[in-house]
Amino acid sequence: MSKAISRRDFIKVTGAVGAAGLLAACGGNSGAASSTAPASSAAAASVEAVGGLSSDPVTLTMSWWGGESRHNAYQDAIKAFSAEHSNITVNPTFAAWSGWEDTMSTKFAGGVAEDVCQINWNWLYNYSKNGQTFVDLNSTTDYLDLSQWDEAQLAACNVANAQQCVPVSMTGRIFYWNMTTFNKAGITEVPKSLDDLMAAGKTFQEKLGDDYYPLHLGAYDRMILMVFYLESKYGKDWADPTTSTLNYTADEIAEGIDFIKSLVDGHVIMSLPTYYGSNGDNAAHQSTEWITGKLAGCFEWDSSATKYQDALDEENKPGFTVGEEIKFGDYNGGFSKVSMGLAITKTCEHPAEAATLINFLLNEEAGASIMGSECGIPASKAGLAAAQAAGAVKELVAEANGKVMAFVSNKLDPLFESNDLKANGTGVYQEVFDTVDYDNKSGADVVDILLDGMDAVGYTVE
Amino acid sequence: MGMKASNAIATFFKYFVLILVGLIMIYPLLWMISATFKDNSEIFAGIGLWIRNPTLEGYQNALNNFGGSINILQAMLNTYSYVLPKVICTVVSSCVAAYGFGRFDFPGRKILFSIMLATLFLPQVVLNVPQFLLYTKFGWVNSPFYLAIWVHTAFATETYFVYQLVQFMRNVPRDLDEAAAIDGCSSFQTLYKVIVPMLMPALVSCALFQFMWSCNDFMGPLLYVQTPAKYPMSLFVKLSMDGDTGFAWNRILALSLISILPQLIVFFCAQDQFVEGISAGAVKG
Amino acid sequence: MKESKAPSLGRTPAQKFFDKWQGLFYLIPWIIGFVVFKAIPFGQSLYYSFTDMNFFEGIHEYGLMNYATAFTNAKITKALITTFKYAFITVPLKLIFALFIAYILNFKIACVNLFRTIYYIPSILGGSVAIAVLWKAVFRDDGLVNTLIRMITFGHAQGPSWLSDPTYALWIICFLRIWQFGSAMVLFLAALKGVPADLYEAATIDGAGKWKQFFSITVPMITPIIFYNLVTQICQAFQEFNGPFIITNGGPRNSTTLISILVYNYAFKSNEMGMASALAWIMFVIVCILTIIAFTSQKKWVYYSDER
Repeated sequence: MSKAISRRDFIKVTGAVGAAGLLAACGGNSGAASSTAPASSAAAASVEAVGGLSSDPVTLTMSWWGGESRHNAYQDAIKAFSAEHSNITVNPTFAAWSGWEDTMSTKFAGGVAEDVCQINWNWLYNYSKNGQTFVDLNSTTDYLDLSQWDEAQLAACNVANAQQCVPVSMTGRIFYWNMTTFNKAGITEVPKSLDDLMAAGKTFQEKLGDDYYPLHLGAYDRMILMVFYLESKYGKDWADPTTSTLNYTADEIAEGIDFIKSLVDGHVIMSLPTYYGSNGDNAAHQSTEWITGKLAGCFEWDSSATKYQDALDEENKPGFTVGEEIKFGDYNGGFSKVSMGLAITKTCEHPAEAATLINFLLNEEAGASIMGSECGIPASKAGLAAAQAAGAVKELVAEANGKVMAFVSNKLDPLFESNDLKANGTGVYQEVFDTVDYDNKSGADVVDILLDGMDAVGYTVE
Repeated sequence: MGMKASNAIATFFKYFVLILVGLIMIYPLLWMISATFKDNSEIFAGIGLWIRNPTLEGYQNALNNFGGSINILQAMLNTYSYVLPKVICTVVSSCVAAYGFGRFDFPGRKILFSIMLATLFLPQVVLNVPQFLLYTKFGWVNSPFYLAIWVHTAFATETYFVYQLVQFMRNVPRDLDEAAAIDGCSSFQTLYKVIVPMLMPALVSCALFQFMWSCNDFMGPLLYVQTPAKYPMSLFVKLSMDGDTGFAWNRILALSLISILPQLIVFFCAQDQFVEGISAGAVKG
Repeated sequence: MKESKAPSLGRTPAQKFFDKWQGLFYLIPWIIGFVVFKAIPFGQSLYYSFTDMNFFEGIHEYGLMNYATAFTNAKITKALITTFKYAFITVPLKLIFALFIAYILNFKIACVNLFRTIYYIPSILGGSVAIAVLWKAVFRDDGLVNTLIRMITFGHAQGPSWLSDPTYALWIICFLRIWQFGSAMVLFLAALKGVPADLYEAATIDGAGKWKQFFSITVPMITPIIFYNLVTQICQAFQEFNGPFIITNGGPRNSTTLISILVYNYAFKSNEMGMASALAWIMFVIVCILTIIAFTSQKKWVYYSDER
C-alpha cells in the first residue's frame, strides 16, 4: 500500500503540472494574437532541417475526419490560407471517423498519406513509434510557432524524441443530458451524484416505461466510465502514462466492472444486447432511441457535444444540456488527453509550406477564428484568443470543456486507445462488457479477458 | 373426375408456392421503395407498403453532399469510371484468351487449360494480401484512375469469363474459320471478322455480368480507394451508414435505391441475356 | 502474323513453326496476367504465412507460429467453425430451394418468364451494399421480419432479436444468400428442360408417381448441374465477406465473424499480413479438400449422358 500512496503523490504532482498548463490554455487570451505568424514573412531565413518557402506554385494535400461543420470550417480556413499564400494550393481529403483509422494506417504504411494529417494522439505510438512516419516539428519552427503551446501539451506529442505533432485541442469526457426527457420523468436537475443517477434509472422505468433510460453507454464508453469510477475511488491513473504499467489490481478492476453492471441492473443504462437488437453496431447518436429521447444521456468527449445535440429531433433538441462531472469516490476521476493533432508526414515534399499551413490554422488569427471550436477548444494560446475574439467558440463546447478541464486530474497512457482494445466489434473492451451483459457475468469472471487483452497490446500487467 | 380435381389442386398448389415465393423475393425491395417516401417515424411503424405521409425528404437528403467532399452523383460517376474500363478490358482480353484456348492446338495447351480451370477455384482472399503489397509497390493504391481495380482485367484474369467464352466458342462451327482461312484471313482477322460476330451474344452477356459484379464490388474499392472524394457507390452507401450525422433511414434507403437503379434498368432491358449467359457456361461443366 | 495466310501445301519451316505456336500468341496476355496477378501472389501468400510479416515492421521471424496460433486461438477456431456452419446451412438450403422452385417452374406454368425474372432479381443485386443495408433494416427488432412474425401469430410470438442474439445473427447472412437462389435456379431450370420427355412418359406408363419420377429420373439426369452448383456455391460460401462485414460487422460477440472477416481484420486493421496469409491458406486448403471430395465422389453420383 505504501507504494500506492507514493505513486499517488507522484501523480498529483504530474496532474498539477498538466492542470496548470490547461488553465493557461483556457485563459490565455492576453493579446497573444499579435505574436502569431512567426516567420511566414521571413522566407529567406536559414533553416536547419527543412528547406525554405518556395515562390513557385506548391500543392499540398491534407486530410481530416469529422462531421459536416468541421469539414466546412477546414475548407473555409483553407480558402483563406490560399488567399494569403497565392502560390500554395491545398487539396483536402475528408470523411467521417468510422473506418478512417483503417484507411489512414494503410496510407501511412504505403507512404501515400497526405502531407498534413489530422491525427489521433495514439497514432503517434501506433504508426510512428520510432519517428518513422511524421516530421519532427522542431525542424520547422521558423514557420510554426511552437511557443503557443505549453510544455506539457507538447511533451504529450513528443514521441521517439521528436515533436511529431502539435495538439489541436485537449479533451475529456463529461455527461450530457436530454432534459426534455428528464423533465417528462419529473426530474428537473441534472444528476450530480451516483445516487441521483440510480434514482433517475428507477424513476425513468416507473414513470416513462421500460424502454426509457437516463444514460446510454456503449462498450467503449463503459470502459472509460469504469476507469473514471476507479480513478475517483482510488485516486491513481489507470496506467503509468510513460511505461503503460497497469496501476490497478484484478480485484479493483472487477469492482469497476461490477459498478457498470450495477448501472445496467439499476435501469440506468440499457443492456448492450437490447441496444444491438435495434441498432446493430451503429453509434448511439444514430440510434432512434437517442434521436427520440428514449436514451436521455451520454458520457462523451467535450468536443462531441454538438454532434449529439444535432442528432436529436426538434422536440428534444432544446433540452440538451451539459451535465456535471460526477464524483464517485474521494478523488476527481477521469482524464484529459490530446484530442487530436496536426502532423506533417515524412513523405511531404514541402514541409515548410505544410508548417506554414498548420501555423495558419492553429495560431494565426485569420485561420483560428474560422476554425473556432470545430476541433475542440483550441490548445494554442493565440488560436484560442483569436477564436474567442471572433466569437467562433461554441458555448456548448466551451462549457463542456471548461467543466472537464476543471475537474479531471488523471493522465492517459497511449495504449489505452489501441485499436485492438477499443475497436468497435472486435475490440477487447467490447468483448468484456458484452460478456457481462450477455452471460450475466460478474466483474471477477471477466477481468482476465481484459487483462489478457491489455497484456497483448503491450501493457505491463502485474 | 378425381383426376381432374387432384390436377386442379396440384395446379393451385404450384401457383400458390410460386406467388408466395415471388412475394418473399420481391417484398423487401418493394418495402424499400415505399420506405424511401416515408418519414422516419413511419418506416418501422408497420410493414405495409402504403405511405401515410409521403415525403421526398429522403431523396432530398440523399442528394446532399455527405460526410465529406462527395455526393451521390459524384459517387456514381466514380463507379462507372472504373466499371467501364473493367468491362471493356475483361471482354476483350477474355475473348482473346478464349480464342487461344478454343481454336488452337499447341504443345502445352492442355496443361495451360487445366491451370486456367484451377484458377477458377482459387479464392480471391488468398491473393488479397500479396496483391495489395504489389499494387502498393506499383503506386496503384488510391490511384486517381482506380488502376488497382481494373488494370489486371486487361490480362484475362477474370477466369470465369474466359472459361465461359471457351464454352461458347465450341458452338461456333470450325468450318467458318476454315472458310475464312481459305479466303486469306490471318488468324487475327478470323477472330474479329468471324468469331467475334458469332460470339456477340456471349460477349454481351459477359459484359453484362461483369458490369453487375463490378458495380456490386465492395472489397476492391474498400482496399484500393482511400480518398473519400473518389469513393464509388458501394463505399459511399456504406459511408453514409456510419457517418457522423443522425441516422435517417429514409435517406439511407433512398441512397441505396438510387445506387442500384442503373443495375435494375440494365437488368430489365437485358434479362434474357442474363439467363442465357448463366446457363451457357455451366451446362457442360 | 501477316505471313500466316491460308494453310497451303508449300509452307516454309518458319511458317510451320508459327502455325504450331500461334495459339500461344493469343495467350500471352493471359499468361502475363496469370503469372503477375495470380501465381506470384499465390506463392507469396504461402511464403508470408510462414512469417510474422507486418505492414509497418516487415519480417522478423519465420516458422509455423501463425498456424500454431490459428488452431489454438479461440477466436480463430470459432471463426472456422462459424464459416463451416455458414457454408453447410447456406449451400444445401439454397440448392434444395432452387431445385424445388425450378421443378415447379418446369411444369407448364403461365408467366414463367415473369416468375423467373422476379426470382432472379435478388441474385443480380444481392452482392451490393444497398441490399446489405436493406437487410439490416429488415432484421431489426422492429423490422419487417419480426413484425411479420407478430402478425402471423396474432401477437403471440415475438421474433428473435436477430441483430443482437448470437444464435440467430448468422441466419441473417444465411437468409441473405439463400434469398439469392436465382442463378442456381436458372441453371436447374435449363437442365430440367433438357431431360427428355419420353423418359417421363415411360415412367408414367410404368405407374411411377411424381415423387418417384423426380428422384429416379429428374435428379439423376441433372446431377451434372447439381454438381456444378454445389462446387461453385461451396467456393462462394467460404469466401463470403460483404454480408457479415456490412450488416453485422462480425458481431454480435463474433457470431458472424467468418474467416474472410478475420483475414481482413488481420491484414488491413492490425496490419499483420503474415497471420492473415496463414488464415487465407487454411481456408484455401479447406476449399481444396471439399472440392477434391466433390470431384472424387462425382464418379459415384454424377451421371454424364455423353462422355464429355
